[in-house]
This record gives sequence, structure tokens and C-alpha cells, in this order.
Amino acid sequence: MREVVFGVQDGVLTTAGVLAGLSGAVSNHSQIVLAALASTAAGALSMGAGAYLGTRAETEVLAGEVARTRLAAQRDPYVVQEALLGELEKQGLTREAGYRVVQLLSTSPHLLFKTAEEKVYGLAGAMHANAALDGLVMGVAFAGGALVPLLPYLLVPGNGAALGSALGATALALFGVGYFEGWMAHRAERWRSGMRFLSIAVGAAVAGYLIGLLISPLGAASG
Amino acid sequence: MLRPGDIAPPFDLPAATGASLGRVALHALSDELIVLFFYPRDFSFICPTEVTGFNTSLEQFRAEKCSVIGASVDDAQSHQRWSAELGGLGLPLLADQGGQLASAYGVLDEKEGVAMRATFIIDQERKIAFSEACPINVGRSVGETLRIIRALRTGRLCPADWTPGAGFGPADRKF
Repeated sequence: MREVVFGVQDGVLTTAGVLAGLSGAVSNHSQIVLAALASTAAGALSMGAGAYLGTRAETEVLAGEVARTRLAAQRDPYVVQEALLGELEKQGLTREAGYRVVQLLSTSPHLLFKTAEEKVYGLAGAMHANAALDGLVMGVAFAGGALVPLLPYLLVPGNGAALGSALGATALALFGVGYFEGWMAHRAERWRSGMRFLSIAVGAAVAGYLIGLLISPLGAASG
Repeated sequence: MLRPGDIAPPFDLPAATGASLGRVALHALSDELIVLFFYPRDFSFICPTEVTGFNTSLEQFRAEKCSVIGASVDDAQSHQRWSAELGGLGLPLLADQGGQLASAYGVLDEKEGVAMRATFIIDQERKIAFSEACPINVGRSVGETLRIIRALRTGRLCPADWTPGAGFGPADRKF
């Protein structure tokens, strides 16, 4: 889910930004489309590679952590038992009830450690991540998102009209991603999720534009 | 932490001895020597071997006119259930709720709010004759505590690693 939302949002915004920027600087429609296509390809590959490497690094570090902790647990099981007991107490069980739970779990050392992995060491979730899948989903999501502002440029003649259609499609897409996220989370007012997503994404784009305006005198001064 | 020669802080606390609930007070104990051992918590996977170890050796301590008393910050009802969990204990467990007794003996872990793993031997004059504290992951030696009790009862100069039957140091030497 994270890769889909991140990839689509980045693809939509980055490509819309490239198209808007180029439309202001260049009048040749074909050149704008070609540059946006190149940016899309580069962005999809870069984001996909980044997601793959990030997930892989995280799972390798965690796998090392888990291996070390399992070795320590085999040597001194009472350490894991006591740590899990402490965590269950923190989460609201009485000491005696927690003791009984850990005692029961201790009849299966594998289950004891899996439970401690999740509750005490917080290692459970990331261990199941698939780096290749994360990379592929991120890259495809980016490319899919990029198509949203790009398609108007392929279908609508004239830079002005194409830009207007692209920005409109971008806003709709961003709202749609937020709405989809709200639907997946079974929220009652999914339109709020859509509006939140749209406002954050647009806010970031506007902030980037303003920062560009602020620093533009530096370019003029050095040129 | 209190050291040999310090006056043992008095106590009069609720306690569980096996399934029975009552109170245990220092001034009411008639034995010559008292072993008072502190442990962090009931229902723990680290503490049980020590408590059961002292319980198993109880008759040997009693033969040396010595009482053995445990103490933790848990309440008396918890001690009662913990005793049942361990198969029934013949020694009293003091309910030092709030840790005042542990604090008085200088063995309260203020950060965790529990007593450290510490043992005191209190002599006939109700002064500290011996004190030790162990790391959380190292169980105490009940046998060593019993050996020290036996050495103290001789009133003689006992060399290193003294055991009953072994010789004593010169009677005219203090150390």
C-alpha cells in the first residue's frame, strides 16, 4: 500500500511539475512530451531501484538483529521470557496473568520467540517485506501516476489546453488516491481522505514553487 | 546498601507463609540469626530457583537456629499465589509494598521500583552480620549463605572457604 500511494503521488506530481515547467519555457509540444516521457522513465526506474534497495537493506539489518536475538534467547531463554512478561504487563495484563501466558508460550520455544519478536523487539512486520516486489510496485505506480498528467498532452492539441487538462487530471488523481486510501481503511468519510491527500500534495508543490521563486534571484545574479 | 555492623532496620509487615496470611515482625523473631533475602518480583522467570532453593534448605537453616525470610514489593496475596505456584513454601514472604523496607536496607532499585537481588544476615544483636547483592541475571548461592551462617555460629576466626569440620584461625587473632 505504501509503495502504491507513494509511487502514484510522486509520479503524478513530478510529471505534472515537469510538464508545467517545460510548458512555460518551451513552445514545441513534441519536445515537451518527449522530455516528460524521459522524466517518467528515469523516475520510475529510480524510484523502483530506491524502493528495492531500501527494503532489502531494512530486511537484511532486521534479519541480522533477529538472528542475534535468537542466539541469545537459546542461550538464556529466561531473558526473552522476562522481557515478554514485562511487555505484557505494560500492555495491561496483571503480572500473574502475563506469567501464565508466557509460561504457556514457553511450551513452544518457536512460538515464544515469534511473540517476543513482535511484542518486545518490534521485528515482525518488516521481516516479511519482499524487496523485488516493493521495487516493482513502486516503479509501476510511479509510471502509472505519471501517465495521468501526460495523457492530456498526448490527446489534447495546444500547450495551454493540454496543461489545463493535465493539472485538472492531476488534482483528480491526487484526490482519487486519497479516496482510495480511505476506502481501503474503511473510513466513513472517504472524501476527507481525498481532500487531505490533495491539499498536502498541492501544498508541497506550492511550497516548492515558492522556494523556487525565492532562490531564483541567485540564478539571475550568477548568470 | 547496609554493611556488616549496621543496625538492621526493624520491620513489621504483612506476609504469606505458604497459604497462610499474617504478619512478621523483626522484634518478634526469637531465632539467633535471620536471613533476610530480597528479590525483585513474584511471578518471574529469574527469581524462582532462589526462593525454592532457600525453601529446600529450610530445615538446615532451622538446625542452625536461623530464620529465613524473603521480601519483595508484591502484596501478601500475590505472595500466597506465588507460593502455591512454587509448590508451597515453608518460609514467610514479606509484602514490602512501596519498597520502604528495601529502601531502608539500601537495596531498592528506584528506577524500576523493585528490590535488588540482595541477602542480609542479621545477628543476635539485630545488627547486620553479612550483606551481599547480585546482578539481576545471577542467582545467589543458598549453600554459600548456609556456610556463612554456620561460620558465624562458631564465633571463631574462619579462614577462606571454611566449611564445618575444617580448622579455625588462631584464637588470639581478630582477623
